[in-house]
Amino acid sequence: MTRAYPDADAARAHLSEVLLRTGQEDRDAFRELYTLTSAKLFGITHRICGNAQAAEDVLHEVYLTIWKRAGAWEPGRASPITWLATIARNRAIDWQRAQGVRRTSPLDDAPDIADPGEGAEATLLASESSRELIECLNGLEPQQRDAIRTAFFDGITYAELAIKRAVPLGTMKSWVRRGLARLKDCLDG
Amino acid sequence: MADPTIDTDLPEDVTAAELALGLLEGEERSVVLRRVLAEPGFAAQVEWWRSRLAVLFDLWPERAAPSHIAARIEASLDGVATGTATNVTAAIGTAGPAKVSRFPWPALAAFTSAIAACLLLFVMLRPEPTVPVSQPTPVSRPTSVLVAMLGDAKSPVAAVYDPANGALRVAAGPGVPHAHVAELWVIGGDGVPHSLGLLSAQPTSLAPKGVDRGRIAPGATLAISVEPRGGSPTGLPTGPVVATGVVARV
Repeated sequence: MTRAYPDADAARAHLSEVLLRTGQEDRDAFRELYTLTSAKLFGITHRICGNAQAAEDVLHEVYLTIWKRAGAWEPGRASPITWLATIARNRAIDWQRAQGVRRTSPLDDAPDIADPGEGAEATLLASESSRELIECLNGLEPQQRDAIRTAFFDGITYAELAIKRAVPLGTMKSWVRRGLARLKDCLDG
Repeated sequence: MADPTIDTDLPEDVTAAELALGLLEGEERSVVLRRVLAEPGFAAQVEWWRSRLAVLFDLWPERAAPSHIAARIEASLDGVATGTATNVTAAIGTAGPAKVSRFPWPALAAFTSAIAACLLLFVMLRPEPTVPVSQPTPVSRPTSVLVAMLGDAKSPVAAVYDPANGALRVAAGPGVPHAHVAELWVIGGDGVPHSLGLLSAQPTSLAPKGVDRGRIAPGATLAISVEPRGGSPTGLPTGPVVATGVVARV
């Protein structure tokens, strides 16, 4: 998102403005919004849907939703990319769960998501809240961190996580709940 | 929840985080969604987790979307906005050479009228497999009606929303104690209840304002809470939530 801009704040301000204008039914703004964000949102739908055709269909729906709902975005409540990405993730999860199949095997061609715990801090954004969350995640036990990250990036449920990691459901819930509780303590502290 | 291996001595309730992450499903999820409605503090926790976890989106690898998707989206929007294939082709025609240089989707300008018209029909018919193709398709009404059944199977409250005219029709609301009123809410992607209006013992037709119309989308939750006469004084549900249902397209 930030490649074309000298810094993340400028990119965010620009995206906010484009999203606000989209909310006023400005089609040119909507086209620019698509140009700025479609690679990120397609990355999301592709990973969660697990196949290109479904990811395209969901992306289509996501942008129709964005067009209809952009007027409801409130600057200050969520960053524009967070708002957009959340719509994409939720839509993709809805699609995936509507299929009624448990998806527990890794995607064939989904790229690995950089784990900042393994030395990728440099790729991370300037934002303080990002650093804080990553640092707190890194403070968790490996299986707690893995489970929380996998739930976020694959959009899967407790039951699917348990199958994927071949552990009893109760064990998985325990890992995640303990991890989330520690994460909250860390973020609050 | 009767799982013997689950810890019962957790220092904190992380249910809000579980909902925000999407870990829950089925009845467990419905129960927690009701909490979102009934407890503003809990709704705020869900929101807090969503915004904290959202920084992980920064790590999500990008992937170039195939170029034809932009045209599909454009065609769908024209279908919604103008309602006829003729207008769509005209609209695309006007987006021609003069704008191509700053137009992010040059492929669009290359569309012939015929392709655009076919595309529009494809896009409009594809998501509605339940509509027989042979039926005279009401081209001017490409959006379908949304419904939600609130409450249990015995005494559900039906809500029907027509995006074409913005009317939300709700069957007779549930019985409420004296000096109280049933209030209808929508919870969309932001996880926060937004009031749609008050219900009565008679069927009610509501006209949600623009922002809330967008929130009534497939997958959103509608809910009814019992509020003091005049409606919730806080802007969020304050009384018990007596019925919920998920919006679906028909």
